[in-house]
Amino acid sequence: MVDAHPSHEPVAPALVEVSGLSLPAAITHLPRPDPYLNVEDYEPEADAMALNMGPQHPSTHGVLRLKLFLDGEICFKAVPYVGYLHRGVEKLLENRTAIQSVPYVDKNDYVSPLTGELALVMAYEALLDVEPPPRAQVLRTILMELQRIASHHLWLGTFCLDMGGALGGGSSVFLYNFRERELILDLLEALTGQRMHYNALMVGGNRHDVPPGWEEKVLATMDRVEDRLAEYEAMTVDNHIFRSRTVGVGVLDPLLALEAGAGGANLRASGVDHDLRRDAPYAAYGQVDVRIPVETAGDCYARFLVRIAEMREAIRIVRLLVSGIPEGPIGALKPPRHVNAVKLPPGEVYVGIESPRGELGTYLISDGSPIPVRVKIRPPSLHAVSLLPYLCVGATVSDIVVILGSLDPILGEVDR
Amino acid sequence: MSRVLDALRMIWEIGWLRGLVVGFVTLTVVMLIAAFTIWFERKWSGRMQNRPGPTERGYGGWLQIFADFFKLLQKENLTPTATDRRLFDFVPPIVVFVVLSSLAVVPYVPQGPAADASVGVLLALAISSLMVFPVWAAGWSSNNKWALLGAMRAVAQSISYEIPLVLSALVPVILAGSFRLTEIVGAQADWHWFAFWPPGPGLAAFVLFYLSSLAEANRIPFDIPEAESELVAGATTEYGGMKFGMFYLGEYVHTFVASSLAALLFFGGWEGPGPDGLHWMLAKALILTASVIHVRWTLVRYRSDQLLRLCWTYFVPAALVLVFAAGLWRILAGGLA
Amino acid sequence: MPDDVLALFRTRLGLEEVPPEGPFVPPETLPDIVAALKEMGFLLFLYCAATHWPATENRPEAFTVAYGLRRPGPGSSTARLRVRIPADGSIPTLSGLFAGADWQEREQYDLVGIHFEGHPDLRRLMLPEDWEGHPLRKDYAIDTHHFPWR
Repeated sequence: MVDAHPSHEPVAPALVEVSGLSLPAAITHLPRPDPYLNVEDYEPEADAMALNMGPQHPSTHGVLRLKLFLDGEICFKAVPYVGYLHRGVEKLLENRTAIQSVPYVDKNDYVSPLTGELALVMAYEALLDVEPPPRAQVLRTILMELQRIASHHLWLGTFCLDMGGALGGGSSVFLYNFRERELILDLLEALTGQRMHYNALMVGGNRHDVPPGWEEKVLATMDRVEDRLAEYEAMTVDNHIFRSRTVGVGVLDPLLALEAGAGGANLRASGVDHDLRRDAPYAAYGQVDVRIPVETAGDCYARFLVRIAEMREAIRIVRLLVSGIPEGPIGALKPPRHVNAVKLPPGEVYVGIESPRGELGTYLISDGSPIPVRVKIRPPSLHAVSLLPYLCVGATVSDIVVILGSLDPILGEVDR
Repeated sequence: MSRVLDALRMIWEIGWLRGLVVGFVTLTVVMLIAAFTIWFERKWSGRMQNRPGPTERGYGGWLQIFADFFKLLQKENLTPTATDRRLFDFVPPIVVFVVLSSLAVVPYVPQGPAADASVGVLLALAISSLMVFPVWAAGWSSNNKWALLGAMRAVAQSISYEIPLVLSALVPVILAGSFRLTEIVGAQADWHWFAFWPPGPGLAAFVLFYLSSLAEANRIPFDIPEAESELVAGATTEYGGMKFGMFYLGEYVHTFVASSLAALLFFGGWEGPGPDGLHWMLAKALILTASVIHVRWTLVRYRSDQLLRLCWTYFVPAALVLVFAAGLWRILAGGLA
Repeated sequence: MPDDVLALFRTRLGLEEVPPEGPFVPPETLPDIVAALKEMGFLLFLYCAATHWPATENRPEAFTVAYGLRRPGPGSSTARLRVRIPADGSIPTLSGLFAGADWQEREQYDLVGIHFEGHPDLRRLMLPEDWEGHPLRKDYAIDTHHFPWR
């Protein structure tokens, strides 16, 4: 039985300085398992069992395949196999113009499509040196935060589903979360006409302006979502079983997290105070003082706490911004007449934004023709999944499911 | 008319024939109750989760269980080639058999069960703990790693939780001074339900019994042998169609039998305000079953090692203390209070 | 890019001007420079993006591989650099320095066909093991025919 974990106490933990960065000492420089371990070197060899978890498995969040090498039920090596959803999005984007590209990135991270759109659109804007008008910027920020709430709702639901099963308390949390997620999707639908693949952004601005009365609806929904957050906390934060399943499970070394390129809550739960919304503001994040929740325990429970705090923070940002959307146009460019309307100058850009899962980046090379030479999407989920060979070692099968859920990977984004 | 009654009375007087009739009636009724427990669970969990549950077939979807039953019957009888075929096919009927046999000693009416054994409590618990064998056989014969893991967990869990289950059932046995279930209920007459009298150990023993029987019946939060988010479906992964249906039915009958035992041991069975009888027994058993269902749809599950630690470090010592306390009460109060 | 990174590139590479999209680094000095950047606090691995440049009249077939690192925390900044290699060239791996480079390099090996020297586990990441060709090369047509069930 795990009781209150010392590192979740509201006491400032001991810090250690690494390359100019203060990290919690208790979890930094943890021993790292060897992800390239030769299974035949494992002793005693007779106890090893290879177990394929996925691609058809209820808790692999889509079609991840994890090859687990187990000793009893303890994993000593985990090899993730990805690519089951590979659709060649980068190749497709390298054959499309800037205007044609946006719907394709919607399908990458299908839980938060708007962030995918923004990362791509901002890369094109950086290449063209176009600045969207203030109204578009504020609207984009609101959309991003609404999307963050919706995405974290889905994450919380599936996380509890991994722990409690489809026939149990987990699915109750899952369905409650969908209740609020639907409310937010209603808002996005009112704005964009879609509930999943919005295609709401375009180079130089937004595609849709705010319908009448939308701001009031947003505020009302935010009140409701904030009220209901307390329900989830009642079912999770202080629940003994929930805590014993998450506290001290899947402790992520902040240095490993950084070097592996993890982002978002995975990074901040390990004590890295880093969020692009505050540290490299884009859209209208410069106008709001974004508060970044940071936890120092680095375990699944810390990642859970960070995401819950992020939902509250997102609600606050939406409330701040929605009451003062500036007047003006929503696009900096003339509405395009045809797909080749946006001429790209030669150049290379990289733009990163803070998606709900971490730094979602787009690297773009253009040689001056309407279609780009190279589009590389930097998916935060890929880096989260690549942490599994490190985190799964020493964990039981039950823990692996929870660890995978706590990292919040979206396989559509991993595989692209 | 009187001839028929005479014939019935004659049957009643022949012990084994009476047992056969009572057993048959009990089986049928309990199977029906288990089927409606499934409907109730679907409806109740739906209400808990803001969804309607089954609505189409019959009023409130109550015919849905029969639709499910016929669907399961019609399904292809799939047996994966690498299984140990004979054992694999043999297991599901055994599950139902084991679960239903414990009904032989569980009384629902004051007149007693099919076989009012003098060691009824022990027999009921012993039979229901036989469930380990079919589950292990299912996991082993499936030749599937998920099934094997699930079966290994199930064995570890069942064997561990057997001990607090039996020890906590000993508390009412000591208090009543008998292993016979009808006598245990009789000792609880006049509102001396063991859950409330003697105050303390009885209620604690009930909580232990309830939690341990949740673990025995593999219900959340102790359903790690099945753990569909981890082990796909545990020991039953490879089973489909009616073979799966038997496991499914067995699970619900098991839950209902465990609830009935709890009602008999701790809540005075058929004792109650107004006339005693079947209605009180059924009401108590059903309320307990409903609480099992409610718990299931509220909580997430433990990890297997946490579950075993919970058993050996908390439940077993607590149960031993309770047995001791019950004995002490018995000595000090000089028989039944 | 911040001043300390520009200064590093100037001294190590002997450059006058550092382009904003990152200087071209000789492949053999890449691990040293990236290790120096890591020492300077660029701990977050961002991306590794290889690009295929087919042969034209005035240049032979070549690849460029672009890397990005980020210094986390308030006032976050990126360091970007590029490597140009010939068609049959290879590039030293960064997977020893950055765990995140492991999969990114596997992806580039898979999709573009760059060989990363010293990578401990250079297998295809996205595509099946028996896939033929590297789809992100420019000579790989988007409608290339494939045997079914791939």
